[in-house]
Amino acid sequence: MNGSVKANTLMPLVFVAAAAVPFVTQSYGLAFSISLLSAFILAQSWDWLDGKAGYTNLGHFAFFGVGAYAFAILSSKGVAIYWGIAAGALAAMITALVLSFPLFRLRGNYFAFATLALLPLFEILAFNLTDITKGADGIPLSLPRQINLLYGLLLGGALAAVAVSFWLDRSRFGFALKAIRNDEQVAETSGIRIFPMKCAVFMLGSAFAGFAGAIQAWYLGYIDPPTVFGLDVALIPIAMALFGGSGLIWGPLVGVLILGTVHDLLLTHLPVLQTTAYGLLVLLIGRFLPGGLLRTKLLKKVPFLASLAQEHHDFAPSFSGDLGATPLFSPNARTEDASLVLDVQGVVMRFGGNAAVNDVSLQIKPGEVIGLVGPNGSGKTTLFNCISKVYEPTSGSIVLSGQSLASKRRDEVAHLGIGRTYQNPRPFGDLTVIENIAIALMFRGRDPLHHKQALVEAGRFAEFAGIGDKLSVRADTLSLQDKKVLEFARALASAPKLLLVDEVASGLTPTEVHRFIALLRAARDQYGVTIIWVEHIFWALAEIVDRIVVLESGTKLMEGSIEEAVNNQRVQEAYFGSKGEAA
Amino acid sequence: MKLSRVALLGMAAAAIAGISAGLASSASAAPRTDKCAGPITFGTTISATGRNSTLADRWVKMTEVFETEFNKDGGIFIKECNKSLPIKIISYDDQSTPATAVTLYERLATGDNVDFFLGPDWSAVSFAVSQVVERHKIPTVMSNASAANIWTRGLKYIFGVQSTAEGWSNNYFEMLKGLSPGPKTIFFVAQDNLLTKDVVAHFSKKAEAQGIKVIGSEVFSPELKDFTALALKLRSAKPDLIYIASYDAPALPLIQQMRQMKVKANGVHEIMTTGKLIRTLGKDAEGLSGELSWLPGTKGDYSELIERVLKGSDVDVMDYLWTINRLNAYLVMMQAVERAGTLDRDKVRDVLDKGTFKSPVGPITFHEGGISDVPAFTTQVQDGKAVIVAPPPVAQKPFIYPSPSWQ
Amino acid sequence: MDITIYLQLMIGGILLGGIYALVAFGLSLIYGVVRILNFSHGTLVAIGGILASLAYTDLGLPPYVSGIALVLAFGLFGRLFFQFLLEPLSARTPKEAEIGVVLVTVGALLMMSDIAAFLAGPTPKNIPVRFDPIELGDLILSSTQVYALAGIILLTVALHFFLRYSWFGRAIRAVSQDAFGATISAIPGKTLHGNTFAFGCGLVAIAGVLYATMFPVDPYMGFSLTVKAFTIIILGGIGNLTGSLLAGILLGVVESLAAFLIGSEWAPGISIMLLLIILVVRPQGIFGGKPA
Repeated sequence: MNGSVKANTLMPLVFVAAAAVPFVTQSYGLAFSISLLSAFILAQSWDWLDGKAGYTNLGHFAFFGVGAYAFAILSSKGVAIYWGIAAGALAAMITALVLSFPLFRLRGNYFAFATLALLPLFEILAFNLTDITKGADGIPLSLPRQINLLYGLLLGGALAAVAVSFWLDRSRFGFALKAIRNDEQVAETSGIRIFPMKCAVFMLGSAFAGFAGAIQAWYLGYIDPPTVFGLDVALIPIAMALFGGSGLIWGPLVGVLILGTVHDLLLTHLPVLQTTAYGLLVLLIGRFLPGGLLRTKLLKKVPFLASLAQEHHDFAPSFSGDLGATPLFSPNARTEDASLVLDVQGVVMRFGGNAAVNDVSLQIKPGEVIGLVGPNGSGKTTLFNCISKVYEPTSGSIVLSGQSLASKRRDEVAHLGIGRTYQNPRPFGDLTVIENIAIALMFRGRDPLHHKQALVEAGRFAEFAGIGDKLSVRADTLSLQDKKVLEFARALASAPKLLLVDEVASGLTPTEVHRFIALLRAARDQYGVTIIWVEHIFWALAEIVDRIVVLESGTKLMEGSIEEAVNNQRVQEAYFGSKGEAA
Repeated sequence: MKLSRVALLGMAAAAIAGISAGLASSASAAPRTDKCAGPITFGTTISATGRNSTLADRWVKMTEVFETEFNKDGGIFIKECNKSLPIKIISYDDQSTPATAVTLYERLATGDNVDFFLGPDWSAVSFAVSQVVERHKIPTVMSNASAANIWTRGLKYIFGVQSTAEGWSNNYFEMLKGLSPGPKTIFFVAQDNLLTKDVVAHFSKKAEAQGIKVIGSEVFSPELKDFTALALKLRSAKPDLIYIASYDAPALPLIQQMRQMKVKANGVHEIMTTGKLIRTLGKDAEGLSGELSWLPGTKGDYSELIERVLKGSDVDVMDYLWTINRLNAYLVMMQAVERAGTLDRDKVRDVLDKGTFKSPVGPITFHEGGISDVPAFTTQVQDGKAVIVAPPPVAQKPFIYPSPSWQ
Repeated sequence: MDITIYLQLMIGGILLGGIYALVAFGLSLIYGVVRILNFSHGTLVAIGGILASLAYTDLGLPPYVSGIALVLAFGLFGRLFFQFLLEPLSARTPKEAEIGVVLVTVGALLMMSDIAAFLAGPTPKNIPVRFDPIELGDLILSSTQVYALAGIILLTVALHFFLRYSWFGRAIRAVSQDAFGATISAIPGKTLHGNTFAFGCGLVAIAGVLYATMFPVDPYMGFSLTVKAFTIIILGGIGNLTGSLLAGILLGVVESLAAFLIGSEWAPGISIMLLLIILVVRPQGIFGGKPA
């Protein structure tokens, strides 16, 4: 961990050097530094949405243009410069807010392309809304050109951007983004309300882009649509961030410093084909170092440079092994009356013409462990998805401890007390074990913890589940069993009333299965967690379940004890086919 | 190898300082110490790549040839030094981007330490660069920067040679006055661009003042490829004259589709009828009238030098319509320095402010704010070739109206 | 406003839209199979057009000759480009692979347009073949465009049969619909990807040649063409060629009508607004099956 300390102490020296520029260099150095700072603010603010949340916004530059225009329009009407700059940032933020609603319905490549289309769209709007933007004429500004002041503002903006990056790495908000980056659905079922989070980071990045745009308008003294919305310049800051290394705190800075300098050197030393050389560099990085320059193996051999490339992971002091006397969370109350923890009535889930779940009803009392069985395709996981609101049931009702889940979002349902694991484990892959669990602790409905405390507490959950020795291991490098254990620990950390466990035993050795059963038993006995367990392995179920529910082709075949189920002829037919000839 | 933290810090700081210093002064010339030594340096940027490169890419070579030819002719005589000094023009590619141009002019000012500036071109770039020019108090003669508000800010060190909207089609409209029967109606079509819309605004008024009724005015985006809608509007309006204010490339599909849609008129005018446009249109170009800043073969001051330069760099002014403005900017600056007799920037500036300078198109004087105007000749495509039809002193052939090709 | 005007606008739009669709075909196939968003797609079209134009004016080659040569050249180029620059990225983590593709294709875009401008000059060029317009009463059709549209429809039909009945075509469709299942069925993934990319680039060559016969091409127009192509494949459904043709025509008609009714300056904005709306309201497109 010393490495990152080194990097984080030395890299700010770049900004110290930057602060000295107006006093040390000629105005050329100043002009060059201004272009670097502007690019840096764009690149760094872009990476919040991309590196942290996993959304590639190719139209980031559009907000730069919005800020530039807002500033220019107001300044040309006599508004003071500071208000103009603030207005630029604000206008960009509001634009981002409005665009969030349509844009975040998209993911991946579609999101990238929709955002890319923003640039020509804004350019056309700027060309044609001539009453406001003066169209192709552009807006000339007669402002005092106080270069040093302008530079200082840009530097301030750059430092603020760095501060935000640091904050994101160490804050609850940042954790939400990292969870979203890995797996949005799981983030939701862990209690994170994802849309406002995405919207917020989008607005944050746009505000900085708008700020940089406003300053650019001031600097140039003139803007017109191609200058601020042109496709030819729009991808450059993004290429710079990717070049250095997206997701790393110093990635964009390295990218800006190197590519910005290369660009300038090419322009002044190469008589022709400068863009070709530039494009070649970008292409080679894409081909050979797509993780960015900072992530190359060669770089990692040099201690200082390796420290630049360290992904930020929060850690907790290694666990001493003593679980401590306090329980992990206050056990679910055992109610005196026989009120149900889960009441499923006539749930139907249709996909097109196919009813995956067809009129299933189920009543579960607190503290019960129910086994849910049935052949493949019988609707078990779909039922889980209905209960946790991954799907909205076509009809029927689901009530959790008296609360109807009818119009609830996934994160609301998680807050009400439903936790789940998945058939194929879905941990937050690029985060460590401790971060995975801590996220559940931070965002749960019942008594959510402050993130620093969450990191400490997470260790206890890990220890409880048996992976206390792997706290700093990246989740996607764990073995299958450990991933399943981690999922369990993460689900338990939500302090659920009801835990949905989906085929956790498949792929495990009998010893590992026993270990799991012990965990489930502890969850029920010590913490009053009600469990529904989907499983094929009957002997495992037999050790713990109170009852079995059998599904087949979406309908409930029977409900009763394991012995009854196993001996039921219809169940046998469902599993083995009619005539029951297979043993 | 374990380095102490202090050592690491020191190394890092040194590295950063070194890079900044290096950048600030890389390949720079030292500031001029001896007023009479070495070549007189002029710094400029040219849009060799990017959006405007279609208008200017050949000018890089042209500038080099200008430097060679001008030096062959003897350079500039500096009275203060009592000798002639050669010139050297340092040029960079601004990629048609204002922000890049600003950084490059800063570099020319304090990195390359040039004596004077030339250019740049185009309103957006010039607007941004004008502030750099003014801050460093280095006079420049810009070219092709026609936006009026560049010149109304009271800047002292910028001067410009361009074809402004006001002067553009003056000769054409004058010529129209002499036609009998004259045109009664006119339809304006403008590309969505500052200059072209300015031209239309100005000449709409002039048309009305001459008694030609404006029956339509449309604007189109330069990206537009399908002009069916526009052609239909033109066809149904049936104007006497169709006046198109557009750069040549966007006008190409427009005129082609006007022909296909059988749009008819007595005369069709395109303000930038370049050689490229005429060649690509082929038969469709017949009868098209337009404007040209200068034609080789026209006699005037320095015309021989200019023809040598154009030939040596293979620049056809019929294709690169804005060339003469840039070359005139060079000529004016050279004359100003010689007239001042010194390399003192303020003295040169004063000379630019008050003087009249020679050029192949006639005398150039800078009006209020530093702007000057270059009148354009009116041309018409007759039998596949562009000929000058106005003003009368230089006309090669008479103007054909109504144009049979367009009826 | 009489009906002939609207008819004329519609016809103009259809003819224009056919060309748009052709530009989109290659992208549709490539994206459908290889799931690569090639930012330099439009630039390739532009370069195809520039080369064909130069072949016509300087060498006197008629478009169909240069077209064939370009199809082969571009196909080869595409294959090599994929083999050496894109395919190796699939071995990396998904995130890095995505970034790598963006950087490689953007870098390629910058390089190609700059080199083209350097070698051939930045001025727009076209192939000035001209046939006499066809007149039906008051309606006038540009015969060049009619021939082009006929060519495009023929091409669509040919491609349709090819995709349905040839081994290669069926393999492409299989992979488009279910990549995993295709692997299990022993369709060699990597080779197929490479060949599809090459095939797509070949289509691009045809698009470039046809485009240049109707409109001017220059090295810098590629990017906005890519945006338009993407709009069309989204509207038409990924991998659905007939859908792309219809979507392209729809787009052309909408632009044409908008230019007349609202104003020519808004016409380019229409396609983008349409893209954004469709992406949000119906990501599988108007005619498409499943979204990407």
